[in-house]
Amino acid sequence: MDYFSHSLSVALELIFQLDPAVWQVVWTSLKISLMAIVIASAMAIPLGALIALNEFAGKRFIQQLLNTLMAMPTVVVGLLLYGLLSRRGALGDLGLLYTPWAVVIGECLLIFPIILNLTVVAIQSADSRLLPTLHSLGANRGQTMWMVLSETRFAIMAAVVVGFGRALGEVGAAMMLGGNIEGFTRTMTTAIALETSKGEFELGLALGLLLLSIAFLVNLFLQLLQRRAV
Amino acid sequence: MTALYKLDLVRYGYTKKTVLDITQLEIQENSITALLGSNGAGKSTLLNLFAFLDSPQQGVITFKGEKVNADELLSFRRQVGLVAQKPYLLQGTVFDNIALGLKFRAISTEMVKKRVVDALEMVGIAAFAERAANELSGGEAQKVALARALALQPTVLLLDEPFSHLDQASIDELDRLINYFVSREGHSVIFTTHDRLHASALADEVMGLVSGQVVYAPLLNLFRGQVAGEIFKTEKISINLPADIRSGKQIAIDPSEIVLSKQSLTSSMRNSYQGRIVMIAEEKGRVRVTIEAGERFHVQITHQSLNELGLSLGEAAWVNFKSTALRVL
Repeated sequence: MDYFSHSLSVALELIFQLDPAVWQVVWTSLKISLMAIVIASAMAIPLGALIALNEFAGKRFIQQLLNTLMAMPTVVVGLLLYGLLSRRGALGDLGLLYTPWAVVIGECLLIFPIILNLTVVAIQSADSRLLPTLHSLGANRGQTMWMVLSETRFAIMAAVVVGFGRALGEVGAAMMLGGNIEGFTRTMTTAIALETSKGEFELGLALGLLLLSIAFLVNLFLQLLQRRAV
Repeated sequence: MTALYKLDLVRYGYTKKTVLDITQLEIQENSITALLGSNGAGKSTLLNLFAFLDSPQQGVITFKGEKVNADELLSFRRQVGLVAQKPYLLQGTVFDNIALGLKFRAISTEMVKKRVVDALEMVGIAAFAERAANELSGGEAQKVALARALALQPTVLLLDEPFSHLDQASIDELDRLINYFVSREGHSVIFTTHDRLHASALADEVMGLVSGQVVYAPLLNLFRGQVAGEIFKTEKISINLPADIRSGKQIAIDPSEIVLSKQSLTSSMRNSYQGRIVMIAEEKGRVRVTIEAGERFHVQITHQSLNELGLSLGEAAWVNFKSTALRVL
């Protein structure tokens, strides 16, 4: 227990002394996750609305597939992308492996099905009178989609937050695709894994605490938004 | 004159259940039409077809002489205004809700403002503009939905059970509004109700719906039973059917096609029942006589024939009608 409490006090010191090594890692993590969430959301939210608002053959299959993909192990994404991005891979010439972009792509792939699926669910669980109301008011396709997204925006924002949490907290893809290069692709999760295995438990703990705090703040922000809307 | 709506062989349903089955239906322009029927008769479904929210699986709908194409519903939708029975209001203020349909039509901001204010005043809720939509009571929400439809200046107003949750003062107000709406050239109102008296008092035409089928006669003499050969048997009486009908579970008899007499008639009318007069009432300038003759028959006659026949309550009378006055459903 001594070991843990001692480590905790050192970890807190590291955080409050604004240790540059710590903050560098936090910044890299946030940058990569934010980039991933913006790109994935920009694609998944409109596509989710299209899937939810239209009837087509194979819709059920797509939803089942999305449910499966939501639980996709991060190392599998890492593995597949590694195969594509490594020198001998199909996209090897782009030289993306071990850059932040590789991690962004990996995290995008990981959270895209999550945001997509949760968006579809959010729209499908909206009031059944919403669509007929919009149609009877004379909304065209684009206006209908926009208003449906606007009416369900809090559920969709929750989807984005879930995706952000997943991107921020995953370690498999970030490790395999980013390579944990200091100051470049070292994220909070890969740093925790590395520092702990190096015996730098305090630094790992400091990063872990920060990771939890960020997750907490993001959720708090979402809750405040939702409360204001009610 | 072209009809406002014309339906031909329209069928709407789900895999196992037919909700609407309409052979032919016409609704005239510049009129008030009431759709009368019990719960589940298909009233709301028919109103949704009139609002172009849905298309029938079979059949043709013509609107103002133009055939409605299921892929081009938007331009039709923008000509009609619908107020649902339990309207959905979007997040935001009452003003936002009423302005929404106008914004969809890319109308200028000043014009939107003016039309929202006009609509609010028309419905008598001018003070509501800045209230949050989710804080309104059911009756208030219904008024907002009505203003929201009126702001779009449709030529057809479709109202689903508009009177069901209103107090008497609001009912009178709505009656006036409906009459004002149709008083303008080319404007029409269609509303659903299960209040027969209100329907016949307000509407130019009352259309009954029974199990998804249209009955033009007011549904006053509606009997359930079974067909047995040439006879329709209700629980209490047997009625002769026209020669060509051999199936059906309900029959309706137009109250204006029933002949009343004090003695048994010797005529070509195949159905005659003796009964007792249990009610005489005035209705829209005519007289309704109700006779208990096994089943309860409602008969519509003029004041003149009431005097000539000298009918009074409690007396015996004969109900006579041709088998062709029947409609089998």
